[in-house]
Amino acid sequence: MSAAGGGGHHGPVDPLITIDIPGTDFHLPIYNFVITSWVIMFVLGFTAYLASKNMKRLPRGIQNFWEAIVEGLFNFFAGLLGEHRARKYGPFLATIFLYILLSNYSGLFPGAGMIKGFIPPTSNLSITAALAVLVFLSVFYFGIRAKGIGFFKHFFQPMAFLFILNIIEELVRPVSLSLRLYGNVYGEERIIEQLGEMVPLLVPLPMMALGILLGAIQAFVFTILATTYIAGATEEHH
Amino acid sequence: MEILKSLGFVFPKFLWQVVNFLILLWILKKFAYKPILNMLDERKKSIEDAINNAEAAKNEAEKLRKDYESRLAAAKQEAQEIIATATKFGEDMKNQIVTEAQNEAAKAIQRAQEEIAREKDQAVAALRDEVATLAVLAAGKVLGKAITVEDHEKLVKEFVAEVGDLKC
Repeated sequence: MSAAGGGGHHGPVDPLITIDIPGTDFHLPIYNFVITSWVIMFVLGFTAYLASKNMKRLPRGIQNFWEAIVEGLFNFFAGLLGEHRARKYGPFLATIFLYILLSNYSGLFPGAGMIKGFIPPTSNLSITAALAVLVFLSVFYFGIRAKGIGFFKHFFQPMAFLFILNIIEELVRPVSLSLRLYGNVYGEERIIEQLGEMVPLLVPLPMMALGILLGAIQAFVFTILATTYIAGATEEHH
Repeated sequence: MEILKSLGFVFPKFLWQVVNFLILLWILKKFAYKPILNMLDERKKSIEDAINNAEAAKNEAEKLRKDYESRLAAAKQEAQEIIATATKFGEDMKNQIVTEAQNEAAKAIQRAQEEIAREKDQAVAALRDEVATLAVLAAGKVLGKAITVEDHEKLVKEFVAEVGDLKC
């Protein structure tokens, strides 16, 4: 772990524990954020399981809640991608949105960044980079699946010599995606932390309220950008 | 790579996140997106069906209503005709009965008049005989036995002829 590592000064030490895999030299590090990630995954997965295990024609409670989420997100994607592509790529995009949203919001809970195993995952560059790289790879995966080898044509458009620029643009995308999300969430975390250290009572509240807004906006921005990248890669040319 | 490291990039963390994300994607696909989208589709379809059915039922009802209305109108007209026919029949019947009654009454009156006339004639004839006999008797009393049967009859006949001209 680097000395200048984000959120490392005050927070719990990474990795939290290291599990030795018997019979090998490999030590599996369990990081703090991994625990938080698992909690987020459990919350999403378990509520989704409860919502869908016994679905009713007339939705109530948790089923209604999840239906509203899924319908809202998929309708939004359908606005950018069209009904058909929204169904295809919606699961990936919706998962990105929900994971980032809950991850951002987890930073608003008391003790985030202080308690062992509780660090908002998106305040860490490794995590946002992983999400951005997944988006980057999904653009290729979905693009090739939709258009085959024709997917690579757009690198040579509008003119072949712009190939280099197009490649750079493609590579910059995950960098900007990951840095934007990481920077925003980490910055906000630090501000709340610093304010809390100076005046623990009430003063951090406006910032935390802003955090609710920013957490949603950042999740939204990341998802919209991923959607437009995928939209561009899978677009049908007439 | 140095700049990434200074920003806190750690490769094992990156890998962890990729794995976790893919697991989450799988979980949500299985428990959220697939069943919920299916349910939404199913519900959409059932609502569409319900709307179409309602539309069809409405059309059917409209058709039935029109059908009944026309039938009702026909029935009304038929009833009107029946009533008109019956009224006319009744009128005819009435006229016939009245005419017959009038005829009957006229006949009865005529018969009665004839009867009266006949009775009168009979009465007059009977009265004549009676009067003649009485007159003869009276005359016999006045004349004594001086009058014969022949004279007697002659006198009576003269008297009757004289009296017969009188109105009774």
